[in-house]
Amino acid sequence: MAMIPKGLEKQLNTLDFALSSLWRRKLKNLGIMMVFSLVIFLLGSFQMLTGALTSSADAVLENTPEITIQKMSAGRQEAIPQTYIKKLNSIYGIRAIIPRVWGYYFDESTLANFTVLALDHNAMPNGSKLNLTLSDGHFPKKTETGTAVLGGSVQDILELGDRRVFSLFRPDLSLKSFQVVGIFSKQTDLLTNDLIVMNVDDARDLFAIPTSHVTDLCVYVANPTEIETIAKKIAGLLPDTRVLTKSQIQKTYQVVFSWRSGFASICLLTALVAFAILAWDKASGLSPEEKREIGILKILGWETGDILAVRFWESTLVSALAFIIGCTAAYIHVAFFDASLLKPVMVGWSVIHPPFKLLPTVTLADLLLIFTFSVLPYLGATVIPAWRCSTVPPDSAIR
Amino acid sequence: MRPSHRLFIFLLLLIFLDGALYLHAKHLGNILKDDRAVQTIAVAGLGLTDLCVATEARYTRHPAVSDPMAPFMDHPGAIEHFPTGSFWQAPANSFIR
Repeated sequence: MAMIPKGLEKQLNTLDFALSSLWRRKLKNLGIMMVFSLVIFLLGSFQMLTGALTSSADAVLENTPEITIQKMSAGRQEAIPQTYIKKLNSIYGIRAIIPRVWGYYFDESTLANFTVLALDHNAMPNGSKLNLTLSDGHFPKKTETGTAVLGGSVQDILELGDRRVFSLFRPDLSLKSFQVVGIFSKQTDLLTNDLIVMNVDDARDLFAIPTSHVTDLCVYVANPTEIETIAKKIAGLLPDTRVLTKSQIQKTYQVVFSWRSGFASICLLTALVAFAILAWDKASGLSPEEKREIGILKILGWETGDILAVRFWESTLVSALAFIIGCTAAYIHVAFFDASLLKPVMVGWSVIHPPFKLLPTVTLADLLLIFTFSVLPYLGATVIPAWRCSTVPPDSAIR
Repeated sequence: MRPSHRLFIFLLLLIFLDGALYLHAKHLGNILKDDRAVQTIAVAGLGLTDLCVATEARYTRHPAVSDPMAPFMDHPGAIEHFPTGSFWQAPANSFIR
């Protein structure tokens, strides 16, 4: 101990005193620390999960279609006539226009909602490499009608097992059979979990969409710097359409999981306010016993600064430990347990539950934000009352 | 043993645990990098626009390409129906009609 500088030794003694003092009121302090950790855990889990989803979207949606054209009617999207493709031929700079048929299939027996997608994948960028995304089988060729590639959950929910044939209902309730020729790999679950990919003709037959129409058009341009200009030209040429560019699609995921989203903000702000009330109640109102303790310490020769140092150590320990425990638990929750507490609200009534294989995003900015919202107010709520009490004459404090 | 020593031991344990989690994050990051290469092919080859997180409503399954005002479009004055609709924020729509 002789090696320890005097100032540090004093701080260590103060720390020892603060720890003993905390331990004397362990029920109260452990209770506060648990609630504190829980609030930080919730804030941290939300931030890590949404951050991970946002960064995944940023990374993988880089190759999303450059321009998507949808026809609008009475404020809703509807099938777009194929004749619109001819109208676009007058715009210089368009490299390819690929019509797509897609929509949702609600399976009444399992209450699952599948996404059915059909397009000529050979015309798409990387279309020839699509077989790499499958764990089994191949993508159907144009001539292979009545075949489909299924996402991981679709196969499970339809309980196909080793069977390779399944049927879906057309709008007139007649059955259309499909042969499974491929299953998407688990690596792409975040994107393809609910997908059924088939030929365009099969999708038209399934949804009863006339051959003159498709669901939307994917447009690729020769020069990527001209995407916005060409999108404006398309919007001018086809005024009854909604024209979405790649950058707009990418921006969606930067805002979609936000602090301002209703449910999240209500839950998290409620938790924060509840904690603030608890902390204020527990920490600010010094009990008569605590006031007496301060008075006795002052009579024994402690200075106001020493008493403040003890209170500061106490609150720092409670809040900093709660912060570390809360953030650690949040990481474990998101990385190892698929954010199982937040997942039910993220997926709602979805029957298909995609596995969240995500890397929790921990940034310094997020940690500082959580720290500022939680630790700093607690420090203020505990040190200020102690300062007020320690400035009163000791004899009046112990009386 | 002084109380502060016990605290330091506890802090060391937490540092050890967080260090292990940091290594886990590095490992998981490498695995996900491989996954992302495959995902990028799926996005480009199929023209995908959205993550498959919630499948209950079209505006949370495909927020990027669906009608952002759909929750209130089923009939005039319709209130939000699906749970995810209150959790997901509609994208900024200055560009969407």
